[in-house]
Amino acid sequence: MSDLFPAKLRTLGRCFCIITGASRGFGWALAHKVSHLVQPGSVLLLVARSEALLRTLKEELRSFASERELHVHCVAADLSTRDGVNATVAAAKRERALADDVDHVLLVNNAASLGDISGFVSFTDLEQVTSYLSFNVSSALALTAGLLQVFPHAPGRRRTVVNVSSVFALQPLQSWVLYCTAKAARGMMFRVLAQEEPTVKVLSYSPGPMETEMQEEIRRLTGISHRLLPCHEPADKLMKLLLDYDFRSGAHLDFFDV
Amino acid sequence: MSSSGGDLGRALCVVTGASRGFGRAVAVDLSRLVRPGSVLVLVARSVDDLRALQAELARPEAGGTGLTVKCVEADLAQTDGVERAVKASEEAAAAAEIEHMVLVNNAASLGDVSRCAQSFTRMAEVDSYLSFNVSSALCLTARLLQAFPRRPGLRRTVVNVSSLCAVQPYPTWVLYCSGKAARDMMFRVLAEEEPDIRVLSYAPGPLDTAMQTEARSTTADPKMKQMISDLFAQGRLLSCEESSAKLMKLLLEDKFTSGSHVDIYDV
Repeated sequence: MSDLFPAKLRTLGRCFCIITGASRGFGWALAHKVSHLVQPGSVLLLVARSEALLRTLKEELRSFASERELHVHCVAADLSTRDGVNATVAAAKRERALADDVDHVLLVNNAASLGDISGFVSFTDLEQVTSYLSFNVSSALALTAGLLQVFPHAPGRRRTVVNVSSVFALQPLQSWVLYCTAKAARGMMFRVLAQEEPTVKVLSYSPGPMETEMQEEIRRLTGISHRLLPCHEPADKLMKLLLDYDFRSGAHLDFFDV
Repeated sequence: MSSSGGDLGRALCVVTGASRGFGRAVAVDLSRLVRPGSVLVLVARSVDDLRALQAELARPEAGGTGLTVKCVEADLAQTDGVERAVKASEEAAAAAEIEHMVLVNNAASLGDVSRCAQSFTRMAEVDSYLSFNVSSALCLTARLLQAFPRRPGLRRTVVNVSSLCAVQPYPTWVLYCSGKAARDMMFRVLAEEEPDIRVLSYAPGPLDTAMQTEARSTTADPKMKQMISDLFAQGRLLSCEESSAKLMKLLLEDKFTSGSHVDIYDV
């Protein structure tokens, strides 16, 4: 599709975009980026647990959004629960009525948690492990499935699913068994989706270590500091990938390689 | 800590999903490769099948230093299932002065392969699958490693029964592929953390088992279904015995890189 538009006019189209974990960090940066790249008549569905933070984000986008005829809708939902996932799908169904003629559905599965950073042998609590995988794996699958059903394949409407991944989906890291395991599971899950659905373009994107609360948590738990990227840099690269739209569906791409 | 060559030493072997299929074949092979005084703990939901296997394998030799076989009826997706398997192992190994602990994480399920990823809208279904196929393997392994910590004179080997599906995505197999990919990564992390533990993800190949039959009859993707049916029709399914024999070879040679994924066709 990129060859139909000269570079400076390239956009994400009239887009229905859902971003999870949108209230801060990378999700927040993506919400801002996407809002600048969509055409009038687009919908931005922002999902996170914190209603207050989402409203702040919506407020930040407000004047820009009204100029651009961008409808911003917040869904305060805990995606670690079935109710949260169902509420998000229901909200998308309702908002779809406002956006019947979108030509692009974009889902960004960004919400995630770090989990306990601890030695492998400490993970003896089945409920703890199951609960972690539920939020970081099951809910991404259930949400993606639900949303793809809300927006089935239709001519003239492309569907894009992004999995916010990590180098640790591919590479093990000591004491990070929960995070690595979940990212590896998600990576495979989205590769299967790509194989099954030629009408959905799937991208696993690893943004690199960013200035986020998750990184602060890492620093607190491990005492290790990395050189961190400001969120807008990996967000910009992801936008470029989505605008170029020539990645192979199911690919895993890393900020540092692109 | 290198292998003594011909056998696995005086060992505690724990095999999950031991009642049939690959797990059963592994249990049988291990029983033949361990020295007198060893303990074999068989874990599965079906206690009747386990008892039948136990009867075949237990060898109370003269002097009472044969092979002790314990059956543990356990649903590993439940917290108490893992606990029971570990308790039985601890009790059985208490007097045994074992020099080798071998855990074979074999228990697994196929998941519903008649549906596409985008049909999995129910979190509970995915949770339940991951709980049995991923979480329980982590918790059982962690508990056993705690129960049998590192000490001089003790080798520890952890096997993850893996699959080509850990490495390649297959249409309509989202749960199985994701679970196997998760497990492979999980055990790679273990290998990174604990260099003294020998960790192997072994992909046994297409086996002639109940799981294979289930796959053949329920896979929705036409290409996949054809591929699996062809394997069966052309007699290219492997027996559990021949695949288990290859696993034993790997364990006896003990040269594999810890944490690596080895496919039967690589051996």
